[in-house]
Amino acid sequence: MSTTTVPRFVRADGPDKVTGSGRYTADLTLTGTLVAKFKYAEVSHARIVRLDVSAARAIPGVFAVLTQDDVPDVRFGPFVQDRTLFARDVVRFEGEIVAAVAAIDVPTAQRALNAIVVEYAPLPVVNDIEEALASDSPLVHEGWSQYGAADVLVRERNDASFASIAKGDVERGLAEADTVVHSRYVADGCHAAPIEPRAVVAQWEGNKVTIWTTTQVPFDARAGVCETLEMPASRVRIIVPHLGGGFGGKCGFHYEAHVAALAKATKRPVRLVFSRREEFIAPDRRREGIVFDFETGVKADGTIVARKVWLAIDNGAYTADAGFFSQLAAMHALGPYQVPNALAEAHLVYTNHQPSGSVRAPTAPQTCWALESHTDEVAKAIGMDPVAFRIKNAVATGKEGPSGQVYDEIGLVDCIEAATARAGYGDDLPDDEAIGVAIGWWPSFSAASGAYVKIDGDGSGQIITGAQECGTGAVMTLRQLVADELGMQPEDFELVYQDTSAAPYDMGATGSQTLFNNGRAAIAAAGQIAEQLKQLAADMLEASPADIVLADGAASVAGTPSRSVPIAELAGIAAGGELLIGHGSGVPPTVQEVSGAMCIGDVGMTAWVAPQFSCHAVRVKLDKDTGVARVLHVSTAHDSGTIINRIGATGQVEGGVMMGIGQALTEGTRYNDEGQQRNAALLEYKLQTCADAPPIDIHFVEINTPNAGPRGAKGLAEAPNVATAAAIANAIAKIAGTPIRQLPMTAERVWETMNTEGSPA
Amino acid sequence: MSFTIATTIDEALQALATGARPVAGGSDLVVGARHGKAPLPEHLVAIDRISELQCIDVTDLGVCIGAGVNHHIIEHHPLLSNAFAGLSDGSALVGSPSTRNVGTLGGNVMNSSPAMDTGSPLMVLGAEAELRSLRGSRRVGMADLWTGPGRHSAEADELCVAIHIAMPASRSNSAYLRLEYRRSMEIAVVGAAAAVTIADDGSVSAVRVALTAVAPTIIEVTGIGLGSVAEVAAAAAAAASEQARPISDVRASDKYRRHTVGVMARRAVEAAARRALGEPVSVPVNRAAGIGAAS
Ligand SMILES: Cc1cc2nc3c(=O)[nH]c(=O)nc-3n(C[C@H](O)[C@H](O)[C@H](O)COP(=O)(O)OP(=O)(O)OC[C@H]3O[C@@H](n4cnc5c(N)ncnc54)[C@H](O)[C@@H]3O)c2cc1C
Repeated sequence: MSTTTVPRFVRADGPDKVTGSGRYTADLTLTGTLVAKFKYAEVSHARIVRLDVSAARAIPGVFAVLTQDDVPDVRFGPFVQDRTLFARDVVRFEGEIVAAVAAIDVPTAQRALNAIVVEYAPLPVVNDIEEALASDSPLVHEGWSQYGAADVLVRERNDASFASIAKGDVERGLAEADTVVHSRYVADGCHAAPIEPRAVVAQWEGNKVTIWTTTQVPFDARAGVCETLEMPASRVRIIVPHLGGGFGGKCGFHYEAHVAALAKATKRPVRLVFSRREEFIAPDRRREGIVFDFETGVKADGTIVARKVWLAIDNGAYTADAGFFSQLAAMHALGPYQVPNALAEAHLVYTNHQPSGSVRAPTAPQTCWALESHTDEVAKAIGMDPVAFRIKNAVATGKEGPSGQVYDEIGLVDCIEAATARAGYGDDLPDDEAIGVAIGWWPSFSAASGAYVKIDGDGSGQIITGAQECGTGAVMTLRQLVADELGMQPEDFELVYQDTSAAPYDMGATGSQTLFNNGRAAIAAAGQIAEQLKQLAADMLEASPADIVLADGAASVAGTPSRSVPIAELAGIAAGGELLIGHGSGVPPTVQEVSGAMCIGDVGMTAWVAPQFSCHAVRVKLDKDTGVARVLHVSTAHDSGTIINRIGATGQVEGGVMMGIGQALTEGTRYNDEGQQRNAALLEYKLQTCADAPPIDIHFVEINTPNAGPRGAKGLAEAPNVATAAAIANAIAKIAGTPIRQLPMTAERVWETMNTEGSPA
Repeated sequence: MSFTIATTIDEALQALATGARPVAGGSDLVVGARHGKAPLPEHLVAIDRISELQCIDVTDLGVCIGAGVNHHIIEHHPLLSNAFAGLSDGSALVGSPSTRNVGTLGGNVMNSSPAMDTGSPLMVLGAEAELRSLRGSRRVGMADLWTGPGRHSAEADELCVAIHIAMPASRSNSAYLRLEYRRSMEIAVVGAAAAVTIADDGSVSAVRVALTAVAPTIIEVTGIGLGSVAEVAAAAAAAASEQARPISDVRASDKYRRHTVGVMARRAVEAAARRALGEPVSVPVNRAAGIGAAS
């Protein structure tokens, strides 16, 4: 399906994963391992009036039952310190942990859970994002003003983070527009839904703990354990066996501390393995629901003169890592457009729902869906083709974006032209089919990162990295970068990774940053070895190190290939003297300063380093009698800078598109009146299957990007997930004759819209 | 707790007589137990290795399909997918390839879910279940077999050994469609089957329509008048929507189910008529007709 030729690339972890010989966290058994289980609140908002675990503790085979009384009383959270390991006094969502049990086996653990006595006095459930913002709404956190929080956050009652971006004079811009279009959209929350449910195994030796866990961010998980159990980092070791997907859901710090505390209390190894239901209700990572209100003013010639956006994000009961979502969503709501007069106001609102947190391109797919649906409404209102409208207003090289950032070399317009041309945009189609188009953007994240490389005496190498492989193949690609640097083959290198005590820091599989930052580190580490090899070869071949070339597994004198020595031979020499060891980190790319806009609640999200752009053009067939939409073909074009590993990049786009189709059509959390999830199961929460996958055409616009990652690469893992749902929406709107204002655009919602708004095609 | 592996029907009947429950593919029983629907029975008798339950016997009068025949076989069987195409449509939609390879017709029928995909086709084809116990053997029509969600009229010691279906009259055929939100691992939101006979003048001379997932059991639609294919399809749609008794749940509202079951009924009549006239309509009709699944 990809149109590019793909070189051979065998993932280092591929054979293990496909043959079943690989080990995941839930596969680990240590002698004497106990089973961990959690007692959840089950109610969405209540005061604990009685919590008695004595009967549970008395059950034979129960080794420990822990509550907040048994752990350091620490409030934690990366942006707002609003959470404790176990509920303290009040429970604020159904998946909040009240107690944890370690027992000899599952039935005993289950009996212990049943024997825990907990009585609640109900509190009013905050179940609606907009109502939560009302001045008379019940508070999710009575003590919100007392919490520690990042200084930049603007907080008030249920609003955990308000952010705005203001540029020019939006009211004057709207007044001067020839046409102003007003739209409202609502996106439901949804899930990362990795196929591997979470698992944690913890074991103490002396005062040190080793934790095997399904995290995407081992160092962050370690920091969480250190903070909540009050330990120095040196005594906590996090190891991640193979990770069975994450999609952002396994970012952050989750249950490592609970299991470590159980293991400490019982003096035994303890293992936690989540059920699918727990995977749905408990983690503080799911994609946030958002309510949007847009106003865009345009001139008759199609020039955007002003855009005003108000949006409110469902934070859920605790803030987790969502503190930056309001400003990020504000950027996505203004979009990759030239908007001279802009105002975006975004609220991150506490509710009694499961907490939101980074899931693949947080805030972006649903905000892109809303903005791009609105954009088609604007184009339609002035009778302009929506693609021409986008090309006219899109940000481009040297132009200023909505936050005042002026862009270096970028390829958004190239993406629009490529994706639409390859989709056959404009060709005649049956009246139940249409092509919808949407554009998206996403930052690259610049961060510190480290790696070691060593080559042993036999000439085989190891890359020892703090980076985490969550399935994207980014860590796998490090072999290619290092091999290229040393004139060797990727297969010459083994990866040692996902162990905080073996490797230097990396931020983890988050923010599409692995190759962007750890690639730089690995190249720097390999570069040190290259210098060593060149010196060794120069001594042996009686040449200057500057004239030595490393290629095809040998070091040779430039221009004189006959004067050459195999790298393996040099490694043998080094093994008896100064060892071949390199360490690297490198300087992260710097973010441009932006002065064009006024921002309240600024968390540094308005100027993006190496921004990525995309355009998706999707052909959809709509069964008008039932509202069932089927995606027939997806054409994608991405500017993610230089593509280093084409087969890996292709996989990311395919996966991102499939996730986008699910978000568009079938994936959405439904709540009952009590704020509990109604579809916390894979039969009722419908992921897309292989059988649903349409042909996906993949095109990369490779622009020479300054100030980017290795070889001009940008990130790629999240960007392909941004524009798909929006493009599907625009196709459905064309066939249905009207946009569908709620995401996911389920068959029933499409049918309802076509049959109640009185504007069928 | 006991687990008996039967290799003959008699061994299975002995086990049932002493209180064991049969397990065929286990794709309802075991999966349901894991999801906490009902605990696994204390005593199980595995019937998946009984070769007598694997037969498909065709005579001029009809077909006898062993209860142990799986959905994959029903989907691809040359005679079934031609003469009893509606049944093959149903089997072809079950779960995923792996579900179709383990799930059996007998298990589907005896699980008695109102959302079961072979239910409506069997109803419109006038199928009968052959129930056998140490006490004897009897045949029960589908309308008498299913009594409620997950409930049927068979006794605990009775094994369903086969499903019997009479050979359809000439210029007759059937079709089954379901509303689905994705192409695999789906459950019928609603579904409808039709069996149609076409007279020499091209009109419909006989029609039966049954509905899936709109009542506590599979139900047959009554009072559909005869006429042209278009007229009968429209009448079937109206009657289906009217006679459906759907619930609202997280999958769909009752209103939407009521509407879409009519759409399914109309399309089922149309597809069955085309097949009755000898036009090729591939199995499953869902893919051909584009319900949630146009290719
Ligand atoms: C992932 C998945 C997807 C599915 N998708 C669908 C679908 O799309 N459509 C659908 O209709 N079903 C679906 N099912 C349900 C199931 O696969 C089918 O109903 C299948 O036909 C059941 O057959 P089995 O042999 O596995 O039954 P089992 O689980 O072995 O048995 C089911 C019940 O019938 C009883 N039983 C079995 N055989 C006999 C017999 N010969 N006589 C008397 N009682 C008997 C058992 O005691 C049990 O109560 C799905 C299941 C799964 C796990």
